[in-house]
This record gives sequence, structure tokens and C-alpha cells, in this order.
Amino acid sequence: MLTPQPMKHVRILALREDLPLISLALAETESFHPDPRQTEDEKLAPLVDCSYQKEYQQARSRLDKIRQVIEVPEADMSEIRVVGLDELTEVNAWLGEAWESCLRHQEAGRELDERTRLLEEQETALANFAELNVDLGSLRGEKRFLDFYVGVVPRENVRRLEGALGLAGHLLFKYMEREGIAHVVIVGPTGTREAELGSVLSAAGFQAVPLPHGLDDSPGAIQAELKQRRATIEAEQAELDQAVAACEVAFRDELVRAETVLTLAEPFVTLDPAIRSSGNLAAIAGWVPARALPALEKRLADSMTHPFSLESRRPTEDERPQVPSVPVRSRLLAPFAMLVKQYGVPRYGEVDPTLLFTITFLVMFGSMFGDVGHGAVLAVLAWVFRRKLGRFYVFGLLAGGSSILFGFLFGSVFGYKTLIPAIWMSPLYNPVLMLQLALGWGALFLTLACVLTIYNRFAVRAHMAAVFGPHGVVNLTFYLGLIWGAVSLVTTGQFGLVQALLTGGALAALAGYNWFHMQAPIGEKILMVLIETLETVIGYLSNTLSFLRVAAFSINHVALMIAVLTLAGMLGTVGHVLMVIFGNIFVIVLEGVIVTIQVMRLQYFEGFSRYFSADGREFAPLRLRRRAPAA
Amino acid sequence: MNRFANDAYLNTRVAVKATELFRPGDLARHAQLSLQELGQKFHLGSILEEPVSDYVKSRAVEQALIQLLLSELQILIRPMGVDERGLVLAWARKYALFNLKTLLRGKIRNLDAQEIRDNLYDLPPEVRLANEELFRTESAVELLRCLESGPLSLLARQAREIYEQRQEAFALEAAIDQRYYAELARRVNRLEGHPAQRQMRMLVGSLVDRADILWLIRFRFAYALSASETFYQLVPSPHLMHRQRLLELVALDDQTKVIAALPDPLRELLTDAGNLMETQRRMAQYSNGIATDVLRRGTSGVARALAYLILREENLRAVFSLIQGRLLNLPEPYVELAVGLRPAICVHRWQDAA
Repeated sequence: MLTPQPMKHVRILALREDLPLISLALAETESFHPDPRQTEDEKLAPLVDCSYQKEYQQARSRLDKIRQVIEVPEADMSEIRVVGLDELTEVNAWLGEAWESCLRHQEAGRELDERTRLLEEQETALANFAELNVDLGSLRGEKRFLDFYVGVVPRENVRRLEGALGLAGHLLFKYMEREGIAHVVIVGPTGTREAELGSVLSAAGFQAVPLPHGLDDSPGAIQAELKQRRATIEAEQAELDQAVAACEVAFRDELVRAETVLTLAEPFVTLDPAIRSSGNLAAIAGWVPARALPALEKRLADSMTHPFSLESRRPTEDERPQVPSVPVRSRLLAPFAMLVKQYGVPRYGEVDPTLLFTITFLVMFGSMFGDVGHGAVLAVLAWVFRRKLGRFYVFGLLAGGSSILFGFLFGSVFGYKTLIPAIWMSPLYNPVLMLQLALGWGALFLTLACVLTIYNRFAVRAHMAAVFGPHGVVNLTFYLGLIWGAVSLVTTGQFGLVQALLTGGALAALAGYNWFHMQAPIGEKILMVLIETLETVIGYLSNTLSFLRVAAFSINHVALMIAVLTLAGMLGTVGHVLMVIFGNIFVIVLEGVIVTIQVMRLQYFEGFSRYFSADGREFAPLRLRRRAPAA
Repeated sequence: MNRFANDAYLNTRVAVKATELFRPGDLARHAQLSLQELGQKFHLGSILEEPVSDYVKSRAVEQALIQLLLSELQILIRPMGVDERGLVLAWARKYALFNLKTLLRGKIRNLDAQEIRDNLYDLPPEVRLANEELFRTESAVELLRCLESGPLSLLARQAREIYEQRQEAFALEAAIDQRYYAELARRVNRLEGHPAQRQMRMLVGSLVDRADILWLIRFRFAYALSASETFYQLVPSPHLMHRQRLLELVALDDQTKVIAALPDPLRELLTDAGNLMETQRRMAQYSNGIATDVLRRGTSGVARALAYLILREENLRAVFSLIQGRLLNLPEPYVELAVGLRPAICVHRWQDAA
């Protein structure tokens, strides 16, 4: 699980007409990662005729847009078959018509929304006019000397419109503003400048608010008319909803077909950058996990009717950075793999840190958050919300489990120390020992990180970097010498000659290496070598001390619970219960978050930054992707 | 870092970057270089040596120069506050609007998807529109509908309404340009009380002044629009061409009267311009002059950064014109005209000069 899956570079030579069939077969195996690099064979060139790809892209785009209007059922994958260009073109053409139909419905819906909005504006305007002692009926219709326009305009345009209308001899009055829309009345002389005015009003996004007939009627009559118009809009909306539902039913079978065709056509389109061709011959290149190669070969042999050739080879040293790494596939490790992926993907050949990350994460989290009750709460919450959390619920279960385990070791249940006997002891009983253990854990963690760094560098044939580079053999020798010397100093009072020779020798080797590999004037060289050597010493010391936080949070957890229980002890029965409940909730939320952040910090900065280059490529095999029924 | 530290950092960055700008006489010297020499000088040799058509080379050069400018912009905006960064990004959003116009023209003329894609600029995420989503649309109206759900909602809505009413690309593009400058002016006004505001008013105002004068002459006298229609297309500038002045100018019925009514230094600059191309060239000189002034004497790091970017853009545009001139084998006077080294004279006199 730590070492990467060996990969093989595969090159398939086949007839060009077989490409859709090959891509489908490769997608079914889910073990072929396309390699788009330019081939050395100059006779083979990328595909020039991209009509299949173009039809697919347009059809997929249309189907995705249709999905936003009506429900698109899942693809029918009962039969896996090759989709030809003719069928794809036909489906695309049908999707074009279906989208036009959906677009009409969408536009009709927007128009109804717009009418509703205008009606609301009209109601607001009339409510505003109701307070004026003006006969609004006289504003409606054509007048001999004056033109009146009552309407709405986007707030941003009012001032410009006012200026422009002024130049055309008209006046603009803004009498109300709401939600970015200004209600205006425009007045001006009737006559010659209507075209000019119309052009300006249209550019400003002016919408006339029609004044209803019978404005001299009672307010009740006007309200009834507006209500009638609202009812009309609602009826039209209901009709539209029915039309959309009918459209959904009518299109259902064709949509299933379209989704199926596009799902089956997708692998060929995805494979396109990895295809090179010349005449009737085509070559496809990609990466396959070595153990999946026989199954892939068999699958191709079973599905192909025309001859084909499959060549495979191990990756060369030069192309190692291009080789994809197969991620760890384990339900238990999946959430931890996601956290590792946040940092990066391991380069091919390097150790996959997921398992190590999982173990060290759980150990550190449990020791910093050790309590049977708190761990149980985390685990139960993760289980209850497992649907919402998805794969991440396992993370909550394991973290909670680790807390429970350490809770038994510390003998703590919701902060109470007397409910169960401690298998080991409470962290607060011997803080010095806890700090010593944290330092020991830090030294072990850093040593392991250096060992992995060295392994990874040897694995990618970077021998000099493995020995002299940061966190390489020389650094590790120095660090181990330093740790050994420190332990001797504490136990015997002396650093020790061998330890001093080890640390001093390693530092000297490091300084010598830096000296000979640095291109700079002599003064700058001396300065740089001194600084870098000093930085190595300080870096390892501070990084080890950084692990003291594991003990600190472990003690802090106990201390916080003592504070909660002390406060609870000072209150009456109800207060006591409430204090214990809310105190525990406070500690679980606050400490839970802080401890997770601290552990992640230790993992990313003290661990990953040493041994994990994180610049690899994730294995992304060609596959048949099934989409959810509705967007 | 606090604001003072950020400003000091930005000023230092700008001072270092400003050494890359053309000095007087540089452009004239570059105009004498061959295509290979230009490629070498501006690190575009690898693009120019590619065995592809001149059109593809020209596009690649343009894209590389835009990327260079926008990568510098990305560095300069890092230490800026939210409002200042917003203003500088609003200036750079013109490239996203170029893409939007390309998409709109393509959709209106039903061009092939690949042809449209080939003419889009690849932009950094800070200024990019959701191109892929827009690309999937099948008509100009659908495209504008799609834009209505994003930050350009107001622009898109008005542009769609205009397009639905008039069905012409001109009104649509005029609305887009108008909104672009209006947004710049709005953002400058939002800097009320900011130490950079005075310099920003001059700098951004000079850009708006430049657009206003060209639009005023074009709409009022070339397209014969009415005073009110012309005024509605203009943007009140935070510098010289403010609202009241625009109202007075659009009411005039003769181009000479408009020039005579302009404030100094614009009146002096444009009095004998003669034609719109020369007016454009002189207005470019005017806004570049202000940018140079802000860069040299300005105290605000943000204003100096924007001034640098404006000048850098002009320089890179000149480089592109020189390279394109060489690729198209244009006569020397035409290229010099394009980069502003010669005054724009009428067509028969260019031919004589060529």
C-alpha cells in the first residue's frame, strides 16, 4: 500500500475506423490513462477531422442546457455499443430542436416573470399616486401639447437619461425608487422629436408602466383589474408548467437515447488528444497499471474484429514525471486520501503517504483529544450524518474511535476521571513525561520523514540529492547524532564524543557540499554556507520542539474539562447539569477544530514538506461516466 | 502589511518595472528593426520562427503580449486593497470585453465554433469571463441571458434589450463600451477620501475624456445622431469632460465649435487635428502624457501602478503593430502611422508618402 503500483506505457496500433470501438473497450476496463504527448514517429499526426468531437461537444452542451429546464433521465447502459458519427449527428440535430423548444419555454417563463415584475411596479406606482390629488386618467392617451411617459428605468441610468431628455426638451421626475429600479414621469412638448426620444428611452432601458383604464373608478375597481391581470399571469404560468411537463414526457425516450449515445461516445472524445494517425492507421498511447494489462489486452482481443497490435514497456527515467500514480483505493483510507490530495499527488515511484498519514493522524488526534465520551460523540455524529458527509464519515468514525481508545488509556469520560479506571494515566498526572513522549514522537516522526525522503530520492534516481540534499542521508545522520547527544546529555550529563563527531561531521559534509555547489563570490559563499548550516541546526531543533504541541493539547484537553467540572461544581443541580452539557459541547467543538488543525499542520509542514514532492499526476482512466438524472 | 507598507512596496515594484518602459526615441529606433530583431528584442523569437501562417503568428504574438501585460498586472495588484484592486481589474476587464464582443459577433454571424474560439484571448482568472459557459450558447440573446446571471448582469440586460429591439451589433458594442468606462468612472468616485483619488481621477479621467471626445465627434457628426442620443452614449468623466461640459458640447452643431469649446489643454491639442484618426492619435498622446506624469510625480502606489500598466499597454501595442507591419510587409509610413510616429493625414497623402 505504501509503494506505487507499477505502470506500463502502452501503444495500440489499429485501423482508424476501429477507434470508437477501441475507446469504448478501454473505457470499460477503467485502466487506461491517455498519454497526449507527441509521438516520436513523425509520420503519425494528431487527428485532423474533428467532426466527431465537434458534434459531441455541441450535443453535450445542448443536453446540459436542456437539463437546466427539464429532467434528463439516466442513460440506458444495458447494451454497450459503438456510436458512429451518423448517429451522433442525428442525436445532435434532435437535441438542437429540443433545446430550441426548451429555450422557448424558458423565454416564456422569463417573459411571465417580467410581466409579474412590471405588474408589481404598477401596483406600487398606483399606491404612490393614490396619495396625490391628481387625475391620473388625464395622463393616459395622446395630448395636444404635452407628452407624458410613466414608467420605470434602472437606477443607474436616471441621471444620464435626465440629461439626454433635457437636450430633447423633456423633463424627467423621479418619484420613487425600489430595488434598483426608479419610477419616473417624463413630460415634454408633443411633436417632432418622438423618434429621437424613443431611441434614448430604449437605450436607457425605460419600460412604460401602463396606466389602467378607469383610473377615475373607485380604488376597488382598479384593484380588481390588477387582480384580474395577476390571475391571468398565474393561469399562463400554470399553462407553461403544464407545457414543460408535457415536453418532459414527450422528450423522455429521446432524451434517454441522447444521454446513452453521448455517454457511449464520450470515451472516444476524451481519448482524442492521445490519438495519432496516418492514413487508415491510428495509434493510441497511454498508461496502464501493469497488473491490469492482461485484462485490457484480453478485452481488446474479444471486442476487435480487425487486427491490432499492442506494445507495452516500462516507463523510462526521463518520462517518470509524466507517469500517473494510482491512488490508494480503500474505503477506510478514502477520506485521508482526500486530505493528502489537498496537498498534492505523489510522483510515480515515490511512497504514497496515505497509510502513514492515516496512522500518524489518528495517533496524534487521539492523544490530543483523548476522551471516551467526546470520541463517542464524534463517532455517533459521523454515523448519524453519514449520508451528508459521504465518504468523509469514515474520517469521523476513525477519529472518534481513536479518541475513545486514548480515553480508555487516560481514564476519561466527558472529563470525569472516576467513571472508568485509566489503563495508563491521565496526561495531567505527569506532564513532564507527556512532554518527553511528545518530543520522542516528534523525533521518530521526523526520522521517518527523512527516511521516506531518502527512499523517494533514491527511487527517482536522484542519488546526490538523497545523500546531500535537504533531509537526505547527511541531514539524517546529523539529526540522529543530535538526538543521541541530547539524550546522553540528559541522562549522563555529557554530549558524548561519538555523538559530537557524528553531528559535527555531518554538518561539515553538508557545508562542504554547499561550498562546492554554490556559484558566488567568496564572501557571499562563506556567508551562505554559514547561514545554511545554521538553518539546518535551528530547523531540526524547532521542528522537533513543534511536536510539544501534541502533549500540550493533551494536557489542555484535561485542564479544560477540569475547569468545566469545577464551574459545574459551584452551581446547583440544574446549573451543574447544564454546565456539564454545554461545557462538553464547547470543548468538543472548540478543541475538536483546533486539534484537527494542529494535526494537519504537523502533517503538512513537518511531514509532507520533507518527503512528499506532491507534483505527480493522478491516474485518471478512461471510463464510461454515468450522470445523475437531473441537474 | 499595513497600507503604508503596501504603498511603499508597490512604489518600489512600479519604480523597478518602469525601467522597462520605452524612453523618448525608443519607438522610432524599434521601428527601424527587422522582424527577427524585433523578435529577439522582445523575446518573441520562438513564436516568429514557428512554421505557421502569418495570421497565426500575429495572433500568437498578440496573445503573448497580452499575457505579459496581465501577468505584470497580477503581480502589481497583490498588495492592493479591495477597492484599488477592483479599479485596476476593472481597467483590465477590457480584454474580457474584447472576448465578449468576439463571442457576440461570432454568434450574430453564426460563425464556426472553432473560428470563434481561435479569436478569443486566453486571460487570467481575475479578468476572465466564464468563456466556456458563454461559448456553449447558440445565439447572441442566449449569450447575453447567460451573462445576466454574472457580475455583468446590468450591462448584459441592457445590451440584450437593445439587441432585441434593434438587432444590430453596433448598439450592442456601444453599450458594452459605454458600460466599461462608466464602471471605471464609478470606481474612481468610490475612492472618496482615498489618498490615490486625485491622481486616479486624472488618470482614469483622461481615459474617459479620450473616449468621450472620439465618441462625441463620431456619433454627433459622423453618424449624425441627435444631441440627446449622443449625450446618452457618453460617460461623465471624473476629469475634464464632466457632465455639464458634455451637455454643452453635444448641443453644438458643428465640429469646429465643439473643438473650440473644449477646455485646455484639449482645445489646443485638437484645434488643427483635421480628422478623426489624428484626433485619436493626439488623444492617445494626451492620456499617455497624464499617465507619464502620474508615474513620475505621483505619490500613490496604486495610481502609479495603473499609470505604469497604461503606458506598458501602449508600448506593447506599438510592438505588436511593428511586428504585424513586418509580417504583412506594409510600407514604412503605414507602420509609423499605426504606432503614432507620424500624424494621420488623409488617404491620398499616405499613398504619396508610401
